[in-house]
Parts: sequence; C-alpha cells; structure tokens
Amino acid sequence: MTTAVRAVDVRKSYGKGETAVLALAGVSLEVAHGQMTAVMGPSGSGKSTLMHCLAGLDTVDSGSITLGETEVVGLGDKQLTALRRERVGFVFQQYNLLPTLTAQENITLPLDIAGKSPDAAWLAEVVQAVGLADRLHHRPAELSGGQQQRVACARALVSRPDVIFADEPTGNLDSKSGAEVLAFLQHSAREFGQTIVIVTHDPVAAGYADRVVFLADGLLVDSMDSPTAQKVLDRMKRFDGVA
Amino acid sequence: MLRATLRSLLARKLRLALSGLAIVLAVSFISGTYVLTDSMTRVFDDLFANVTAHTDVTVRSVAALQGNSDGGSDDREPVPDTVLQKVAKVDGVHEVIGHVSGYAQVVDKKGKAVKTGGAPSLGVDIHPGAVQESLIVKRGRPPVGSGEAAIDVATARKAGLVVGDRITVLLKGPAAKVTISGLVGLAGADNLAGASLVAFDPTSAQKYVGIPGSWNELAIAADPGVSQQELTRRVTGVLPQGIEAVSVKQSTDEASKSIKQGLGFFNTALLVFGFISLFVGAFLIFNTFTMLVAQRTRELALLRALGASRRQVTTSVLTESFIVGLLSSLAGFGLGILVAKGLLALLDAIGLVLPHGGTVVALRTLIVSVLVGTLITTVAALIPAVRAARVAPVQAMRESGPAEERSLRRRSIVGAVVTLLGGLALAGGLSEGALLLVGLGALMTFVGVAVLSPLFARPVVGVLATPFTRTVSGRIGRGNAMRSPRRTSSTAAALMIGLALVACVGTIGASAKKSVVKIVATSLGADYVLHADQFMPFSPEVAKALEGKPELGAVAAFRFGDVRIGRAGRVGVQGVNPAALEAVLKLTTVKGSLSSLDQGQLAVSEKEAKNLGKTAGDSVTVTWARTGDQQMRIGAVYKNNQFADGYLLSDKVFDANVTEKLLGVIAVRRAPSATPTQSRAAIEKAIEPFPNVQVEDQAQFVKAQGDQIDTILNLITALLVLSVIIALLGVVNTIALSVVERTRELGLLRAVGMQRRQLRAMIRVESVVIAVYGALLGLVVGLGFGWAIVNALSSQGISEFAVPFARVFEVLGVAAVGGVIAASIPARRAARMDVLEAISTV
Repeated sequence: MTTAVRAVDVRKSYGKGETAVLALAGVSLEVAHGQMTAVMGPSGSGKSTLMHCLAGLDTVDSGSITLGETEVVGLGDKQLTALRRERVGFVFQQYNLLPTLTAQENITLPLDIAGKSPDAAWLAEVVQAVGLADRLHHRPAELSGGQQQRVACARALVSRPDVIFADEPTGNLDSKSGAEVLAFLQHSAREFGQTIVIVTHDPVAAGYADRVVFLADGLLVDSMDSPTAQKVLDRMKRFDGVA
Repeated sequence: MLRATLRSLLARKLRLALSGLAIVLAVSFISGTYVLTDSMTRVFDDLFANVTAHTDVTVRSVAALQGNSDGGSDDREPVPDTVLQKVAKVDGVHEVIGHVSGYAQVVDKKGKAVKTGGAPSLGVDIHPGAVQESLIVKRGRPPVGSGEAAIDVATARKAGLVVGDRITVLLKGPAAKVTISGLVGLAGADNLAGASLVAFDPTSAQKYVGIPGSWNELAIAADPGVSQQELTRRVTGVLPQGIEAVSVKQSTDEASKSIKQGLGFFNTALLVFGFISLFVGAFLIFNTFTMLVAQRTRELALLRALGASRRQVTTSVLTESFIVGLLSSLAGFGLGILVAKGLLALLDAIGLVLPHGGTVVALRTLIVSVLVGTLITTVAALIPAVRAARVAPVQAMRESGPAEERSLRRRSIVGAVVTLLGGLALAGGLSEGALLLVGLGALMTFVGVAVLSPLFARPVVGVLATPFTRTVSGRIGRGNAMRSPRRTSSTAAALMIGLALVACVGTIGASAKKSVVKIVATSLGADYVLHADQFMPFSPEVAKALEGKPELGAVAAFRFGDVRIGRAGRVGVQGVNPAALEAVLKLTTVKGSLSSLDQGQLAVSEKEAKNLGKTAGDSVTVTWARTGDQQMRIGAVYKNNQFADGYLLSDKVFDANVTEKLLGVIAVRRAPSATPTQSRAAIEKAIEPFPNVQVEDQAQFVKAQGDQIDTILNLITALLVLSVIIALLGVVNTIALSVVERTRELGLLRAVGMQRRQLRAMIRVESVVIAVYGALLGLVVGLGFGWAIVNALSSQGISEFAVPFARVFEVLGVAAVGGVIAASIPARRAARMDVLEAISTV
C-alpha cells in the first residue's frame, strides 16, 4: 500500500514568547492511499491545525510534509494554490458553497478555476453517487444542509484529487444527513479509491473510517485500524480522564 | 447610548473615513469657492483703496444710461478740460488731475499683441509728482511727450521688454511707436489686478486713449481741514449741467459694487459644482449607512433586546452621521484653502487670468461649510437610521444572513412618480427660464432614477458583464454584481449624477457646434470675419485700412453700443454701414425695408420687435448715454439672425450719438473678380500693423467658435470631475464592503485553488460592471437633459440637436477605468487575505 500523505516531525506554534501556544509538537503521520483516515482528538488537540498544514492551507515551523512526491513545506503561494486546486479537495464544516453559483457550477468550480473542462462521464458518476442529479441547477439557498455538504463532497471528488480533506464535515448536520454524507465519503474511498482525511470529534463519524489516529496536546498518541464508533468512543473517554 | 455610538464609530473608522472623505472633498470645494471669491474681492477692494488713497472728490458726467441689474457698468461721457480749469480755482481744492483710460495693447518684439487673459488692456495717464498719483515708477522714469510710455512691470516681464525698448502700442486710432521710459506698478502690485497698463503723460494719454481736451473724470484732493462733503458741495457749485461731483467713497462704492456683482455670479457658478459634489456625497453617505445598518442588524437587535427604544437606536445612528459630517466638514473647510489655490491654477491654465492676492478666510466660509456639510450628512443618514430602528429584538438571536431583498413594487411606483415630477419640473423650468426650477427638476430626476435603478440592475448588469463570462473570475464577479441590485444601483446612481451632467454638457456643446455650422451657412454672407482676441474691441483704423481694396467687395464694420429702448429696457445695438450690410449678412426683411437705415431709422429683429410690442413704421424712444432721449422710427423688421441679434442702426447714427469709436467685428465679402487667395492676402496685408486682429474665413470662424465652445465645455467637465471622483470613492466603499462581507467565500475560493490574480480579476469585474452601469444610467439621463435643454434653447441659437458620440465613449471608458482603479485597493486586500482566517470567519 502506497502513502498518499506523509508528515515527518511537524511542529507548529502560534504567537510568540511566553504567550506562544504549541499546536503541533512533532507529529509524524502516514496516510495510506485509497483509505479514509479519521483524525480525532479533543478540542485544542491540534487536529484542525494538522489538517490545515497537510492541505497546504497553513505553514509549519519545521518538519516535512509530502503529498505524493511533492514536498509541501516551503512552497510559495502560487504553487500552494495550484497544489490545492489540482491535487487536494476540501470539504469544510459550513459555508462550503458560493451562493451565486448553482450546485453544478459549485461542483465544477475548481476545474473552472483551473480552466479545465470536467470529464462528463466522471461528473455524471459522481453526481449519481452523491444523489443530487435532480438538484444540479438549484442554488445553495434552495438546498438542505445535507444536500449542500454532499455538493461540497462532489466538488472535492470531481477533480480526482490525490487527497480530500474534510474538516468536521458533519458538524452542522443532523444525524441522518450526517450519515448520508459520511456514507458517501466512505463509498468514495472504497469504490473510487479516493484517499480521504477527515477531521472530527464525533466517534460516529470516525467509525466510518478505515483508520483513526488520535491527537492530544499536539502529539500523535494512538491509532486504530478498522474502528467502530463504540471503540472510538471508549478510546476518547480515556482522554477525558487524562485531560 | 452615546458611548455605544462612539464605540461603534471607532470600530468602523475606515469605512466611515471613506464616506467622510466624500464629504471632505465636496465641502472643500464649497469652502474653496468662498475663499477664492473673498480673496478676489479683497484684491479689488485693496486696489480701489490704493488708487483713491489721496483723492477726496470725483467729478464726472451724469450717467444717462445706468448700469442694469446684470452688472453692466454705467455709460458716462467725458468731462471737458474747461471744467478742470474751473474746479482748480475752487477754494479748498488742493489738487485736481484729469484721468483718461482706454484701449492700449502692447506689441512684443515678435510682433504679437501681449494678451491679458480676459482682463482689459488699458492705456492710462500718469501725473508724476501729483499727490493723488497711485502709479509708482519702479524702474526708469515717467514718460514725457507722445513718443514715450511706461508699461507695467508684469507686462514687461511677460513680453520680455526693458526700459529703452522701442515698442508698438495698439490704440483705437493709428498704432503708436513709443520708447519705454519706465516700468510702473502700484504699491505692492505689478499690474492692475490682471489688467495690462500703458501709461502716457496726460496730454498724450488724451490723444491716444481719450479725446483731446477732455477727461473721463477728475480726481480732487482737498486742502487740509476741508471735508469731503464740504468740498463736494463747493465743487458742485461751479459745475455745468450734466456734470456731477461725488465723494470718493461713493464712486468707489459704486465701482466695487459692480465688481462684486460680477464676482457674486462667478461665486454662484462655482458653488453649483460644489453642491453637485455634495449631492453625490450624500448618496455615498446614504449607501454607507444603509450597509452599516444591515451589517449591524444583530448588534442593533441586541441593543433593542437590552431595552433600547427605537428612538434611541435612530438617534444613535444619526449621532454617528452627525459626528462624521461635522469632522468631515471641518476637514473640508481647511482643505478648501488649498482648493482655492487649485481653482485659481485651473482657471489660469485655461487662460482666464484672475487677480492673485492674499488668501481671505472669512468666518462665513467656516459657518457655511460646517453647516451645509453636517446637515447633508445627517439628512442622508436619516432613512438608514429609521430603518435601523425597525430591527426587531428577536433578530439578535437569529442566525442572520444579509437582509432579504424586499419587494420592488412600492419602489417602482415611488421612483416613477419622483422621476416624472422631476421631468415635469425640469421642462417647466426650462420653458419659463426659471433656473432654480430646472435645478430642482434635475435633482428630483436623479433621485427618481436612483430609486428606479434597482429594477434594471439585474438584467442590465447581466448583459454588461457578458463579455467577462469566458473566465470563471468573470462569471463569479458578474454574479456578485447582480447579487444585490439595491447596492449595485445605489452605488451606480452616485456615479450617474456626475456622468449625466458631463453627458448633458457634451450634448449641449455638440448641438451648439452643429448649430454654429448651420447659423453660419444660413445667416452669414461674409467670406471673412475679422475680430480681436476674445472679441475685445479694436481700432477703427483696421476698417480704414481695408477700404478701397479692389479685392474686397464689401467691408462692414460693426460697432456695439448700449441704449435704452421703450419696453425692452437696456439693450445692445449694432452700428454698421448700411451699404455693406446686406452683402455680409443674410437678412430677410419681414416688414419695411433695410434701406430705411440710411435715413437714420432702426431695424429690429422679429424677436425684439415682439419684446418692444412695436413694428415697422412705429416710433420708439431711444435713450443714448451722450445725447439722451431720441425719437426713432422703426424702418424694418427682419427675421431673427444670430449675427444681428436685436437692433441695427447706420454707423452715422452711431457717430452722432456715441463717443466710443472702437469696432467689435468686421465682416468682409470678397470682390467677385478676386480669388479667395487674393482677397485673403489683401486683408492680411492690410491688418499687418494690427497683430491683435485676426482674420477668419467661414470655416475658420466656425472652427474658432467650436473651439470656444470646447473651452467652456472642458472647464465645466473639469469642474464635474470632482463629483465623479467622489462617486468612484463610493464604488471603492461598496466593493470593500462586499469583500468584507464575503470573506468566507473568498477564503473558500482560495482554498479550492483560485489564484490571487483570479481573485483580483473577479473583484475588478464586479467593480467595472457597477461603474459602467452608473455610466449607462448617466448617459440616458444626461442625453435626456441635454435634449430638453437644447430644445429650450432653440430660440437662442442652438437650433440643432447632436449626440456627442465621442463624449459618450469617453464617459463609458472613464467609468470602466474608474471601476478598475476603484477595485484595486479592495482587490489587493482581498487577495492578501489569509485563507484560513477567511474560511473560519463567522
């Protein structure tokens, strides 16, 4: 199994001097290709920071991050932007879509930005999988929260990125909508071989992943293959005791 | 509550600073106008005080023709030298000197007449050693005899002349060759408020610029202990009928009154542009506060939830606008002092030389600036303030996006009604000649169109942005511009105002130029028109030089004078040789015959005949400055002709009744036997000694008129630029706000791979589209205004309507470029935004 994303001894702190906060205290991590990996941890554990660094949204103080063969650390804004556009997909917790564009336009946005035309067959397949074929010409305001998140997932998927980063993708959804979104992400990994990194604090969400890594105080403290919601919950309870 | 207001003011200082800047600029123009005119008034006041410092009483002819309300000056006849001899013997007269002044223009070494830029070229007397003499010889010595003259320091500097140079001076009689004996000036000034001076000894001055044996007026200095009143009384005792003595205070008051009237007109004209800018600024304030209130919905709702009353919320917003208005007005007032200097430089640049002097900042300027600026700002914020109070407390709890767009129906009714009323007021004002009504109508039309404009914003903006939709940046930019039609339109509406006026002025100009072509073709029979720079009067010697040339068929020299006729009041009359008249003007007689001019009768245009209520065969009383009332018969009524716009008389009648001999225009028809080249060469040779006079054939005349129209157009357009700049500030403001509001979206776009360059392009498209929409609105309204005004002016010579296509494209181009510039700062900020922070903005 090949590695899609690799982080080696990544350190990151915010602020300066005495008020400095160490967000990542030397994290090393490998995300396997074609897997759905969940990053879990309590608030303040650094999981969002880790994702932002892996995705080229944030810079690190030291360490190395490679996306496929590309070293991300040290890239300039232009290269990072191109990297995000061509090799990374994003799903955020909320406000994923541009309100002026239709669902379809939102899905093809990264391709449009890059000036590429979408692969029609692939687009159709993604739309089919996400179950939005009849809502493509609606604007985000006319879609439910779950539908909006599925549009965001489709957008992330349609450019066939090396990896999709999803930051609390179900954080704002009810459990039924959340389940739909997670099922779709899981489906993408299993059926399309799409590498996915999902950051969540919800054990149920983590239960959909192939592997879970646990972060606490800026350090990778544990990992778990083939997790279930219950197992994750149990592991998380131990953090509460520690914290 | 006040503390909350102040806090919120500080929190939004950047946004408010931008809209405040609009008020600063507009107020600075108003304040600058006052400073400028006050300073100029001071220059003239100082001048009068300086010139008459040692004079107590002035003796002059009684004015037969008083100045009218338009600021025309009194026409007075000269005072004979015999009166001076008599006055000199009156007990208590310390000194009496006679003054003359008239046309005298210096020719420089290259043979060019030295121009003053609108101010007169004066020839005057100098009485060396007299206590009342205000001219000071700064270099050389005073002139003696008819072969010498002193010129003012400023003219000498401009023309590169020095003491001892031999120069030609153009006069109403034959030009004189004189040697410069010295350079003169006034105490603390190098010339006479912009006018050029050629000073001769008194006798030569009479010969060259006056009438030998008479003076324009006498200036008397009293013996010590004799009061002005007493001296006036004593002098009056020896004066013949028709001559009066007045205290110097009265005569200078009269003179300065007429100058102040002129300056007052100038002041009003400039203030109009200041108020236009302020009006545009009011739009900006309105927009800013509307947007701020919308943004602050939750905050305002929280205040309401905590128990603030509606009135308190309204007051809070109004207080905010009041403070912004007050601070901006104060800053604008200060900046106005610089603007005054800038205006002076602008007018200088187009050749209108105004007197320079100290800067006068009156208390009135401060009061007007602050009052007007603060008031307009507060009033503009009134509607947003009332809206703010309507925010329901529950909205504090709600997850609120931008306010929902309300129905456009009420808006369309209100807008249509206001636009219609504005149009009616405009049309009514134009047909009645009521300028205030025209202004009010224009104002209402602007407001009405601004209210209506959101209705068209979506479709029009959609079409406008179509060329950009090839790129994703363009598509999203277009969507953003169409997103909030109200905001787009109110921003565009501010730009509409300035550009509408530019288009309107352009339309009038283009129509006027087209009309000139037609008027010349239909009314002017002459092949050549001769006139002096800026149509200043020139010497009758020019006409003499042209007489008897075989290449020329008819030479008609026109003189212009003022009389009072019956019901028409004070009017201009033209004196011309009747024999040449019909060869140079295409006149169509409606009644009577133009040959009656030879019998000393009057020819009147149809329009003026209607004004008088008389027709051919009737008699009218004509009042002349020199000869008083005369009964004259109307011999002919002719169809209106722009070149004989009123009353025609034979030159013999002029000679009998008018002292002034200077010519206004000479119209020449070439002899049938001569070619245009021959006749032109003959004219050019004849006028060679008069470098101030130029000859133009019909095409050149048309072009010169067109150029003159262009000069005025450009000046007005330049003055309107301020309002356009202010409106562009509004675009900056709107775009900056959009960027802030859409921070999350921008972050998302960057996250999914949009380059900074693409992001900037996207914001530029939005800005350009808004600006061009404003330009389109402006063009529609402006061309409409222009059309209405041209229609109303058809009787005054603007008979043709023309669309200024070049100006139309300029306006669109300026808007597009303005949009790009306006977008640059917000776009740069947006592009620099940190992606992560942007996404996580709530």
